[in-house]
Amino acid sequence: MAENQKQIRIQVRFYSFFKDLAGCAGTSELVPAGSALGELVKRLVVKFPKLGPMQKSMLVAVGVEYQDRTYILQDGDEVSLFPPVQGG
Amino acid sequence: MRRELTITTTPIDERALLATRQASAEMGAIIYFVGVVRGTEQGRQITGLEYESFQEMAEHQFGLLFDQMEKRWPIQSVRLVHRVGLVKVNEPSLWVEMVAPHRGEAFEACQWLIEEMKKVVPIWKKPQQ
Repeated sequence: MAENQKQIRIQVRFYSFFKDLAGCAGTSELVPAGSALGELVKRLVVKFPKLGPMQKSMLVAVGVEYQDRTYILQDGDEVSLFPPVQGG
Repeated sequence: MRRELTITTTPIDERALLATRQASAEMGAIIYFVGVVRGTEQGRQITGLEYESFQEMAEHQFGLLFDQMEKRWPIQSVRLVHRVGLVKVNEPSLWVEMVAPHRGEAFEACQWLIEEMKKVVPIWKKPQQ
């Protein structure tokens, strides 16, 4: 990463038992501009290793829309991570 | 299509919902489904379920499902109420009503909506012992 590469700030929120696994309801991350959502998820799994085993079933949203791991993050994005939903 | 979505901590008032039903003279099918909290979860006795939602996204995702439903079936009205917070055993957690010209489309749409809800609407439940 170039030293002068622009960084963008991403707000992260956890829902359901992901809050317990992470030990918090959310966090804030600075990532290089142009980063994909998948890179952020990898970084979060390193930071919160208990989320690691949940990666396959993990659902990820940006704002109120589901996004796949190739989504390119924008400054100020709110990213939510959560387990499979269980309404009803 | 008339849409009414409520995600609430307030107990579901079935009488009030039935009293405010609307259907035009062309509608021949009105069905509703009530999902109730069971007393066991994965073989263990529970006292209730604690529901959590990501409310803003849940409302948005329900809206997308209603959009798809409207394209597939001639539903005149859908009303859906989902409880969040603590819901005790035997209490309803979900109430869904469909108004349509015929029963086939009403049942199909209702079944589809609930199945899709369980895939995309961010609501979770935690058993309470």
